[in-house]
Amino acid sequence: MAFDWSFVQRYAPFFVNGTVMTIFISVFGILLAIAVGLVCAGVEIARVPVARQIVRAYIELSRNTPLLVQLYFLYFGLPKLGVVWSAETCAIVGLGFLGGSYMAEAMRGGLESVPKVQRETAYVLGLTPVQSITRVVLPQAISTAVPGLVANVIFLFKESSVVSAIALADVMYMAKDLIGMYYSTYESLFMLVVAYLVILLPISILGTWLERRFDYARR
Amino acid sequence: MTERTERTVQAGQKPQARSTEAVAAFETAGPSAVSDCKGFEVKHLVKQYANADKPVLNDISFKVEHGTVLVVLGPSGSGKSTLLRTIAGLEPIQGGTISINEKVIDEGRPGTEKAGRSNRSSELRTRIGMVFQSYDLFPNKTVLGNITMAPLLVQKRDKAEVEAEALKLLERVGLADRKDAWPHELSGGQRQRVAICRALILHPEVLLLDEITAALDPEMVREVLDVVLELAKAGQTMLIVTHEMQFARAIADHVILLDGGHIVEESHDAHAFFAHPETERARQFLRTFEFE
Repeated sequence: MAFDWSFVQRYAPFFVNGTVMTIFISVFGILLAIAVGLVCAGVEIARVPVARQIVRAYIELSRNTPLLVQLYFLYFGLPKLGVVWSAETCAIVGLGFLGGSYMAEAMRGGLESVPKVQRETAYVLGLTPVQSITRVVLPQAISTAVPGLVANVIFLFKESSVVSAIALADVMYMAKDLIGMYYSTYESLFMLVVAYLVILLPISILGTWLERRFDYARR
Repeated sequence: MTERTERTVQAGQKPQARSTEAVAAFETAGPSAVSDCKGFEVKHLVKQYANADKPVLNDISFKVEHGTVLVVLGPSGSGKSTLLRTIAGLEPIQGGTISINEKVIDEGRPGTEKAGRSNRSSELRTRIGMVFQSYDLFPNKTVLGNITMAPLLVQKRDKAEVEAEALKLLERVGLADRKDAWPHELSGGQRQRVAICRALILHPEVLLLDEITAALDPEMVREVLDVVLELAKAGQTMLIVTHEMQFARAIADHVILLDGGHIVEESHDAHAFFAHPETERARQFLRTFEFE
């Protein structure tokens, strides 16, 4: 079977649409994950009673169940409880639920990597608690956390391919659809790989730049 | 030592060109001339941790005259570092008072055993400087950024004035050419000298040095201790915890030996203390530093 370039030309617009959907779902899912991660890391670092146990339980649940199962629960399970969400909402919430725990762990690791003496020095120098956090702790925590956060962003973009399982027309869904209809395995998979590379290579390059930009905390 | 004798010490430095410059550079960073020069005092200080059966520091009292140097000696676990930490406000105290120029800045309150820090104000904290054993420069700031951060943020001083003073201080510790370096590019000894500048630029009444050479390679110890010796000559009030006995002997105006949370010996004549300690505990402690 020869590689059919005309097929690629004909169906490329489908992949563009799918890619837009993948980016849409991923960007909002990742933003939600970062928000959830910030709250969870904050609760853990501040050792808020009760909330801390809830956060621990959430992190274990989120990290030790597959995204596919989480999505099935949101898409097929919640309607039984009277909550009906669109596929897009389920996909974004699902990615946020999965990514939130990974983001929380990366952020917590960054915050905990800042030695206690740094905060003590800030205190002795007269810095207020807010100044100590914004000028001393956070810059160093970000420096340590950035590689993990970038890896999580890339992981969540790739993991978004799972949403095709709840009939959301992302780029993965397009590929499966075209293979099913036309047996165009080579062409469709080729376009799928290209689509993911187009999304992820710039992010990867940006991530490397960010890591270098924040790499002042070397000791 | 009174104000008058301190002046004599400074005057005595004048003939040597290098030291005069040191006095001048360090004087701007030293205690402000307006203070009434009464010094620093700790009375009946008690430090108790929540899950300990006896206090780490029990009824500690001493006074450090303005412009003099107190060296705190003692075996590990005797409470030396804890003493400096309570004075810096890093640990709340459960009894007694800490005062500067007869103004109480911290008062012991029972029930604060679990609390993280003393609740003293930013302004009060800038009046007591501290340098730690670990190299604690902020890795996200350059040398100059480390030094100018607190005067700009806390004291709201003019940027040009602060930078000029920072440069003067760096020059005094021989690091003017490293002002734009990052902490990870410096040696341990260089970092400690920068940390001293960072504390001095706030013009603290008292400077606390907590084993600042303990983590350094031997050949870097000297460069840091020389800076501290010059500071002492310039009249900076200091409390020093150190294991460098030669240095302690050279710099101390006043020595206390801590053991088990108590002062076991106190002397206002450092040479006499090192030559003929009065208590058996002090003799035993000093013997551990001899090799013969």
